[in-house]
Amino acid sequence: MSTIASGEFWAFVGVVAGIYTIFGLGVQVQFGYTGLLNFGHVAFMAIGAYTMAILTVKTGLGMWAAAVCAIGVSILAGLLLGLPTLRLRADYFAITTIAFSEIVRYVALNEDRLTGGSQGTINLAGAGSAVQYDETWQRFQTRVQGWLHLGSKDATMLVLVWSAALVLLILLHMALRSPWGRVLRSIREDEDAAASLGKNVFSYKLQSLAVGAVLGAIAGLFYAWQFRFFSPDDFAPLVTFFAYTVVILGGTARTWAVPVGAIVFGLIFAGTRFFDFPPFSYFDSAERAYLRLAVIGVILIVLMAFRPQGLFGKREEMVLE
Amino acid sequence: MSLLEVRGVTRSFGGVRAVDNASFDVAAGSITALIGPNGAGKSSLFNIVSGFLRAERGSVTFAGRTIERRAPHRIAQAGLVRTFQTPRALTKMSVLENVLLAAPHHPGERLGRVFATPRTTRSHESGAEREARRLLKLVRLDRQADDYAGTLSGGERKLLDFARVLMTEPRLILLDEPMAGVNPTLGRQLLEHIVEVRGKRGVTFLLIEHDLDLVMRASDTVVVMNEGRILTAGTPDEVRSDERVVDAYLGSHT
Repeated sequence: MSTIASGEFWAFVGVVAGIYTIFGLGVQVQFGYTGLLNFGHVAFMAIGAYTMAILTVKTGLGMWAAAVCAIGVSILAGLLLGLPTLRLRADYFAITTIAFSEIVRYVALNEDRLTGGSQGTINLAGAGSAVQYDETWQRFQTRVQGWLHLGSKDATMLVLVWSAALVLLILLHMALRSPWGRVLRSIREDEDAAASLGKNVFSYKLQSLAVGAVLGAIAGLFYAWQFRFFSPDDFAPLVTFFAYTVVILGGTARTWAVPVGAIVFGLIFAGTRFFDFPPFSYFDSAERAYLRLAVIGVILIVLMAFRPQGLFGKREEMVLE
Repeated sequence: MSLLEVRGVTRSFGGVRAVDNASFDVAAGSITALIGPNGAGKSSLFNIVSGFLRAERGSVTFAGRTIERRAPHRIAQAGLVRTFQTPRALTKMSVLENVLLAAPHHPGERLGRVFATPRTTRSHESGAEREARRLLKLVRLDRQADDYAGTLSGGERKLLDFARVLMTEPRLILLDEPMAGVNPTLGRQLLEHIVEVRGKRGVTFLLIEHDLDLVMRASDTVVVMNEGRILTAGTPDEVRSDERVVDAYLGSHT
């Protein structure tokens, strides 16, 4: 493996960072602002991606309409998750959310006829059928590439993902800076105090979950369009924890910290692929793959040791009681 | 007419009747004190009235409406707000934000309105900010307005809680030991504010307080609780001369 990767590779890293920005913003709203430990955030991504793919391939609905439906279904799933669980204490809520995301993944794994099962979306239209869910997207991407005179499809995807991320970031920034965002933060701080001042805590938590569901679903759509194929394995709980890493790395309760956290995380994650100098070169590539994860862990620990508040967080906030 | 009517309210924890068939009234425009030794059930009663705790029996009527089954936020919206014994400052928010949060009927707290009517939202916010700063001045926290609430002392947090409940434009304020931990000078000022707010805005107060001198001087009615029951209620003079009250505080001599 060479130490210097192609522009294509770094464009790919950029796209993934963009997807994680959108995905991480969902965690930022729910956890960073509202204090909801949703450990099942990846479920919204899975629901977004699968709903869009299934509706496009199986019902003949246009892909864009299917994408809008996917966001709607994700919101419904968020409400369905929240209604029975949001009254639980924080730790029990966290446990039920992780169960929720695993239920979604197992349904995708076992309902072959609906989802294509373990083989993923390649099997969506039945064996031997080559129907894809993203033909409309491919055409759209080619058109955008022509408009902007971009050199490659990767570069186009990079522009598209980050444009979407930027728009969502601005909208979310406005929402969270508003009195609405202030109520969310008050719930994170002390929900009894918020209730005593007339705030409907349950309703705001549901709203926070729904906004998170929208962001998760949009991230899922881009994931599906970028990879052109996905399977239940892509939505393991680890993905949720990567998003938490992004948010904590950037700094909690700061919207602009999410893209920076995503880029830093992406660079660490991708950059460690090129560790072929000593001592890493003493190991063979299979061993190195595992070693890489250990190195990522060490880097994150060191970063957190020096900046526990994240890159953009405020240290004073960590000591206030 | 009574603004608050508590009738036969009962609540037990395990085998202990924390509140036992309690009935009393709070007259509109009055300052009513709820006193009694530790463990008398005062805070439990507060929690029941404000909706944080459910009564097993009995009814609570506020401004002519039963509220004992309502959620705390709905009771607060109806104009009955409370503070807590340990102040609940939102530590990672600024002092000003703590008060702003309490602004009633704020359109900006609806996500749709934030985007649909940004101008209305903003003008409401600046109006709220003026009021919040005025209230912070009243409790002498105006200079700390932009500090994190977590940097305030315990006594200052009590004052912040007071400013916050005033911000909700309430009809009845329940204060749980508002003077505890506040230095005596500030405590006296706080009491003056209570009297002033009652006079100017017609706000009614129900407060739990251990400083009996203070209570006797400021309140119109004193309700005495002991072992979950209402022992007696009356003017400070009536209560002072009641032997049962003396017994409750000093131990029975029979």
